[in-house]
Amino acid sequence: MSLAIPNGLDNTEERPGQRAPLVLGDTTYHDITETVCRVAERPPGAGWFAGFLVAFALLNLLGVCIAYLIYTGVGVWGNAAPVFWGWPIVNFVFWVGIGHAGTLISAILFLFRQEWRTSINRAAEAMTIFAVACAGTFPGIHVGRAWLAFWLAPYPSLNLWMWPQFRSPLLWDVFAVSTYGTVSLLFWYMGMVPDLATFRDRSKNKWRRMAYGILALGWSGSSRHWMRYEKAYALLAAFAAPLVLSVHTIVSFDFAVSQVPGWHTTIFPPYFVAGAIFSGFAMVLTLMVPARSMLGLEKLITIRHLENMCKIILATGSIVGLAYGTEFFIAWYGQVPEEQFAFLNRALGPYWWAYLTMVSCNVLSPQLFWFKKFRTTPILIVIVCVFVNIGMWFERFVIVVTSLSRDYLPSAWSYFTPTWVDWAMLIGSFGLFFTLFLLFCKLMPVINMAETKATLAKQYHMAHEHE
Amino acid sequence: MSNENSMSDDNNTKKVHGTVAEYESVDALLEACRRIRDAGFTKTDAFTPFPVHGIDTALGIKPTKLPWIALAGGATGLTIALLMQIWMNGIDYQYIISGKPYISLPAFMPVAFELTILLASFGAFFGMWALNGLPKFSNPIFTDPRFDRATDDRFFLYIDAKDDSYDQAGAEKLLADTGTEYINTVVEDDSPTQIPKFLITTLVTVIALSFIPALILARMRVTTSSQPRFHIFPDMDFSPARDAQQTTTLFADNRAMRPDVPGTIARGEMEEDLDYLTGIKMESLALQQVNKDRQLVALYPQDEKASSDTAAEQADAPEKSVMDTTPWVETNPVEITADFVKQGQAQFNIYCSTCHGRDGRGNGLVHQRAQQIMASSWIPPASMHQETLYADQYPDGKLFSTISNGIRKMPGYAGQIKVRDRWAIVAYVRALQQSQNASLNMVPESEQETIRTRKAEVERMLAEQAEAEKKKEEERAKQAEQAQ
Repeated sequence: MSLAIPNGLDNTEERPGQRAPLVLGDTTYHDITETVCRVAERPPGAGWFAGFLVAFALLNLLGVCIAYLIYTGVGVWGNAAPVFWGWPIVNFVFWVGIGHAGTLISAILFLFRQEWRTSINRAAEAMTIFAVACAGTFPGIHVGRAWLAFWLAPYPSLNLWMWPQFRSPLLWDVFAVSTYGTVSLLFWYMGMVPDLATFRDRSKNKWRRMAYGILALGWSGSSRHWMRYEKAYALLAAFAAPLVLSVHTIVSFDFAVSQVPGWHTTIFPPYFVAGAIFSGFAMVLTLMVPARSMLGLEKLITIRHLENMCKIILATGSIVGLAYGTEFFIAWYGQVPEEQFAFLNRALGPYWWAYLTMVSCNVLSPQLFWFKKFRTTPILIVIVCVFVNIGMWFERFVIVVTSLSRDYLPSAWSYFTPTWVDWAMLIGSFGLFFTLFLLFCKLMPVINMAETKATLAKQYHMAHEHE
Repeated sequence: MSNENSMSDDNNTKKVHGTVAEYESVDALLEACRRIRDAGFTKTDAFTPFPVHGIDTALGIKPTKLPWIALAGGATGLTIALLMQIWMNGIDYQYIISGKPYISLPAFMPVAFELTILLASFGAFFGMWALNGLPKFSNPIFTDPRFDRATDDRFFLYIDAKDDSYDQAGAEKLLADTGTEYINTVVEDDSPTQIPKFLITTLVTVIALSFIPALILARMRVTTSSQPRFHIFPDMDFSPARDAQQTTTLFADNRAMRPDVPGTIARGEMEEDLDYLTGIKMESLALQQVNKDRQLVALYPQDEKASSDTAAEQADAPEKSVMDTTPWVETNPVEITADFVKQGQAQFNIYCSTCHGRDGRGNGLVHQRAQQIMASSWIPPASMHQETLYADQYPDGKLFSTISNGIRKMPGYAGQIKVRDRWAIVAYVRALQQSQNASLNMVPESEQETIRTRKAEVERMLAEQAEAEKKKEEERAKQAEQAQ
């Protein structure tokens, strides 16, 4: 059972005619089980508790802010004429974008048979769900009367006597994000069931066994079940792949279908999707690099995995940069004065600092990934990815705020200033995200054991062929 | 095979479900699968920690019909989405959006796409569990003591007792030849199958408790009490919106009714030309060029201080105020008809007569009252019947502007009286002025006789009144004498 590289942790070298191993060391099936299950089975360490306390405190901050908002009204935000889509929508688009990497890794890389996805897809999918949960919070409270948010649904209302307006992108958005959330949840849960069965079978404690037993739905690992399961997985992947692309496309319609200069552009759908994948991968890496070393998963999430993700960040970051340039070209080429003004104002107007942050974080910083040193050194990866996260938040800020603050009517122009509630909610949404993620790390299988074992089986097979 | 012996007692009493064998590697399992398939067993299964490729042929598993379920789900989603949108927006509640057809398929595509994906995913997800017969928490194979490793690193092969060729000894013998080290008989699981009672109790209690806050709120909202009823969102129930004459804390001047923004014209009022709206000949004004901005500002005096400031600034030409240099519209731009003048009369009587009096002599009720209480800051309203206000010295446009913007104590009436009505008042004032200096031959001949008769009647009436007064006076004087 020897592998191409027995104990080294560097699998980034390309060897002609040979696939690089994705599971390192003298790892056996049981080792994979042990490595992953240990994360959940051993009691949480001080680091976890510290992180959880901070995250949970921030989550409570979010909860208090939402209660304050609902009780007082949306005036507690900085949203005011003409910028009625302030930070809540910025945060919504930011989180939805982050939520794109998980399903992309699970679905699109699965369809392209990229096997390096196997050890990162679980955590990335979990991240997707948590990011969508953060994203869904903001439009929910942004409707003003949050307890009436169900009016968005097409139900036969006895109070309103009317139906939703299906020609509005805002309604498409409701359908797109909720479908995306639901399908991602199904996909994530379905992928987890065999691993939950492993958790169940390893549980010594009766209650633990019962809880995981219920979640595992009685999974036995039957080959007949596996066959249907794999078919269902492939189908879900095939459905989720266009779904991922559609969601941020529809989110971009919220802007592109309107008449606001700087929003009304056909480049928005592809540009938003590239940006979403870009930010999603950056967030995956930001979480995965520390998690991998803290949870002892270096042999399963290898440097090669990280490097591949860095390459995707480089590619999508460059697409985003190209989109920024194209917007300016089209504004000049289109010869619409309002459009030209909108873009000049974006780069040189009162929000020049936001535009500068966006461009330097999103376009310049990922260019460092041209160097292998940056792609393979975990700490450098995290630093670049944090910059990308910041840059992508600013991208949404730039799009939402600069266009609205100076549109057709100069007498209505004004400068947007966030309130403390805006700040607290943005920070609090990270609390929600990290609370869920830390709970996930402790309670659920952070790596897809079944798929990683299948990858290992293939690796054994190849190793035998080469002998 | 020690386990087998130790469990043989149980096996005699419990129902046998089948036989299971354990393997260490995928290759060994696949080899064993082929062996039992070739031996004619069909009710077989393998249990593996990950999907093993090639096992479907090795075991003879038929392809699944799951894709059809997903297809059916997708088709249902598409149909529901299209019917829903066509019914809701195209038929039952029609929205007019940019003049597009009510049933506009391109706009319905996004939701149709999402619902297709959603229901197809439901089909794949729930269809898979249904076809697999899961969730099923009680499975005889779980009774096997080593079976926990089926989700870890071991591979199990299972022959079901329901298979036609199954007999326990034969199956064991066949499996023993396939390189396994562990063979066991799978028996009935006799552990309790009910959901533990305390779980149900806990669940029911939690659900019941979760209703309590909502019930308390509902009770507070519907029951009677001596206190004012509880409001969850008081500022939503009691809007800070006010009626026109009320006060509000939302604005510094505490007025709920907001004055016009200076220099603005309401929507829909720009349809007429500026001369008509302001009473000023705009073209001539533009030609004057001198202090144009200052003139325009001065035309709309917001308060006395502002206008006095302007006046002070013009100290170099004190005798010529803006009011004199402005090129006023000379004649009423509206065609004068009897109806139009009557309309002006009605408006004059409503808005102007309170101060200026119905006859325009400046002796209205407000003025009388001001004299009665001897109001010190009161400036008497102008009489319409002075030569400086006649059309040759005070053009129609200037009069219109005064009505609109006010003068001295008089406020502007632009907010209350419509533009056309203000011009009507101008027309009526002109008629009023003429009425005091008119000669009989200004009236059409057909009307002259009527007026003569009427004049005679009035004169006679006045004479009678004077007579009656005189008599009363005399009687009063007599009574006074008698009393003395």
